[in-house]
Amino acid sequence: MEKKKITIALAGNPNVGKTTLFNAITGARQHVGNWPGVTVEKKTGKRTYKDTEIEVVDLPGTYSLTAYSLDEVVARDYVVEEIPDVVVQIVDATNLERNLYLTTQLMELGSKVVIALNMWDLAESRGDKIDTRKMEDFLEIPVVKTVANRAEGIDALLEEVVREVDKGEHHEHEVSYGDDIEKKIIELEGIVGKDSALSGKYPVRWLSVKLLDGDENILEKIEGSSVATQVNSVLSTIKKDDYEAAMAEKRYETINTVLPQICVKCVNEVTFSDMIDRAVTNKYLGIPIFLAMMWAAFEVTFTVATPLMEFVDMFFGWLAGVVAQSITNPVLGSLLGDGIIAGVGSVMIFLPNILLLFLMISLLEDSGYMARAAFVMDKLMYKIGLNGGSFIPLLMGFGCNVPAIMATRTIEDEKERLVTILVNPFISCGARLPVYLMLAGAFFGRNAGTVIFGIYILGIIVAILSAKLIRGTVVKGKPSPFIMELPPYRLPTLKASAIHMWEKGSIYLKKAGTIILAGVVFVWLLSAIPAPGVDAAFASEEILGTEDSLIGVLGHIIEPLVAPLGFDWKVAVALVFGFIAKEIVIGSMGVLYGTGEDEDALAEILTAGAMTPLTALGLMVFTLLYVPCIACVGVVKKETGSWKWTLFMMVYGTALAWIAAFLIYRIGTAIGWGL
Amino acid sequence: MANTNKMIFAMVAGILYVVFGILKMLEGFGIETGLAESLLIPGDFFGGFCFVVIGAVFLYAVKELSAGVHMGVSYVYVGILMSLVFMAVYLLVMGADLLMFYAVKSEDYEGWRIIDSMRPGIYLGLLSLIGYFYWKDRFTTEMTKV
Amino acid sequence: MPHVLPLTMMPEGKEGKVVSINAGQGLKRRLVEMGFCEGSLVTVHRSERGALVVVVNGIKYALGKGLATKIMVSDC
Ligand SMILES: Nc1nc2c(ncn2[C@@H]2O[C@H](COP(=O)(O)OP(=O)(O)O)[C@@H](O)[C@H]2O)c(=O)[nH]1
Ligand SMILES: [Mg+2]
Repeated sequence: MEKKKITIALAGNPNVGKTTLFNAITGARQHVGNWPGVTVEKKTGKRTYKDTEIEVVDLPGTYSLTAYSLDEVVARDYVVEEIPDVVVQIVDATNLERNLYLTTQLMELGSKVVIALNMWDLAESRGDKIDTRKMEDFLEIPVVKTVANRAEGIDALLEEVVREVDKGEHHEHEVSYGDDIEKKIIELEGIVGKDSALSGKYPVRWLSVKLLDGDENILEKIEGSSVATQVNSVLSTIKKDDYEAAMAEKRYETINTVLPQICVKCVNEVTFSDMIDRAVTNKYLGIPIFLAMMWAAFEVTFTVATPLMEFVDMFFGWLAGVVAQSITNPVLGSLLGDGIIAGVGSVMIFLPNILLLFLMISLLEDSGYMARAAFVMDKLMYKIGLNGGSFIPLLMGFGCNVPAIMATRTIEDEKERLVTILVNPFISCGARLPVYLMLAGAFFGRNAGTVIFGIYILGIIVAILSAKLIRGTVVKGKPSPFIMELPPYRLPTLKASAIHMWEKGSIYLKKAGTIILAGVVFVWLLSAIPAPGVDAAFASEEILGTEDSLIGVLGHIIEPLVAPLGFDWKVAVALVFGFIAKEIVIGSMGVLYGTGEDEDALAEILTAGAMTPLTALGLMVFTLLYVPCIACVGVVKKETGSWKWTLFMMVYGTALAWIAAFLIYRIGTAIGWGL
Repeated sequence: MANTNKMIFAMVAGILYVVFGILKMLEGFGIETGLAESLLIPGDFFGGFCFVVIGAVFLYAVKELSAGVHMGVSYVYVGILMSLVFMAVYLLVMGADLLMFYAVKSEDYEGWRIIDSMRPGIYLGLLSLIGYFYWKDRFTTEMTKV
Repeated sequence: MPHVLPLTMMPEGKEGKVVSINAGQGLKRRLVEMGFCEGSLVTVHRSERGALVVVVNGIKYALGKGLATKIMVSDC
């Protein structure tokens, strides 16, 4: 028998458990987080239930079908334009009133809706009594209780979905807006109904309601239609602002008349979340508490990783030994030993740091503290021309700038979003960490931790000052209004955070196995080819990574560019290849200095004269600030949609990096420090 | 009255954390306090700062509770949570040291004893642990587990 | 006699009733959708820092000062 295929969309307010439910249905492992705006793109997955093949689409959170920010537009367009067979609205059972607002809009649109009454466990433990029978009666929509994170109620939900699709007859539900507004609606219905292209695609009443609602998207659609002038003449007779607010309030009124009948004792008392908030948002203590939490995360990332790094180191040492013993072909041996193991090994050793860093960020996100950090930082962000909403994407940059830049989609104001994107690369990502760890470890011994912390702080300062500068000159404007939901705190589970950590960590692993591997093999290849005029065999001992190899020639060509910073040609080459991925700065130094996978050997060579603490510091700062990696440049282009801004970011960062490293080197030399 | 208990608890914990934090910061600057050795306080400027913050949270509770603000208990809970977080951090560091000694057998760890990894963060945290279990209801019923 | 005042002027811990929202159309609609309608009760949890923490319909929001000045409430 042929399987039936249907598409369902998961819609709902932010943070109600859409992604969790999506994962429970499809068995996928999308990232969930306890702050608004985690899902910024729609994601699809498949599930076969009985003999129906269901395509499931996870949409970003939206408060209504009138969209404001980019991620909301994604959700709304999908529901309105693609018309899924069933829209499953996930409703937070602890928050019926606001959640039902979206329901009223879905009803008006005429979508086939099934409600998943999620977070049922929380509502129950709070003592709320929700009568789902009555709810179904009032809304004429099937309601299924679910607890998404325990995968409860999934089958019952799918059962209802399948039944709803099979149900032939379907009626649009209406909110009645009162005589005045209804009159206008009817008038508009009459006009819009005449355009068959429009009325064939969307319900006529819905179009009319949306027009009165001032929905820009719909207004645009009308502009291009045959009834544009007539519609505009009706709209010009009303005071828009009044209508919009009045209609939203009517919807709430509708909800509020049914609410008391379906929910007995939906209480709001002082919760534990309120108590925590009282302390962490305290006028004086808010920022210190935030800093203390950051420091705790930092401490775990660095100290706890040490033994784990030793294990990785042992593994690669063992691997190098095996290769040295069993491979007799010198070229192959060199490729594996001097190229791949040296390059990839020197990057992989920092995997424990990276994983722990991601784990810390996940814990912060999952607990709900992240949104509070945005609140605490709003004042500071305001001073640099942004608002608290820009803070979370910046904070996420400590993990990786690519998802951080994607997370800026939650920022409504275009200009603010642009500035947040442009300065994001200055927030030091996990990939740059290996460079600091290696250099600071080699040159600053006991003070390595402080130096690295300082580099991080420098990144933040540069980001802040740059934002202020850009906001005051090229992207002028006032900070936009800031409003963000503060979700209740939840105790993060190790399991959820570990899964989240692994998702991001495995990207790092994949990167090591692909881009970084390719990068270091390329560096090895260049350093194994003899320079023109040099009489030596390919990959022979005496030319590998020296000036007699092709890479030496290339290095010497670009050396003058960085010579004023005190860098030699090997560093120059390493920096060029660091554009592929920042870890390669260290990976290719491993190849170029011929130290293999052994971190300590590289450290020894560097401290023995190849570098001074001063140039090491300069190199760290340069790595922090100069052009971000290819992936990051790509996402900046994609998100800003402009090569002009992308180039601006690349040039600006590199110029800053050069100036900073130059100053460090010159001033340091002048005062005779670190020679 | 329950709040008197909490107030006394916050007072003690607050003073301890502030004092230890200041000692840590002083040691971090290289100023010998003489107490460091016996109390196992390492010199650590930022770590010391964090202790002062925790202490300040507790003392803020005292300030509000003594002014009769019932919601002042919030600061007691948050102080307890934060000190437990830091206790966990230092326990993890201790675990890392254990691994370095037994599994890695690093040269730097010759002659290491478990007491070398004992930090104020751990033994002061015990106090908060007691507080946590004493007022456990509040933590478990209202901090909904996910 | 209840006074009408901007939300920013409400003392912490006090509850008020939204009287009007003096914002442009888009912004006003957004606020209404988040639950700030005329007549809804707002409790101010925090207002001493840059931004406010307010609760409306049992949902907690961080709200910038600029936005909060546009929401007029009457203290009751
Ligand atoms: N207690 C409880 N927590 C849930 C439930 N469903 C989701 N969560 C949690 O709610 C948070 C937000 O979930 P997420 O799926 O990211 O929400 P989204 O923004 O709607 O996609 C996560 O921490 C989930 O673990 C539920 O039924 N019960
Ligand atoms: Mg999501």
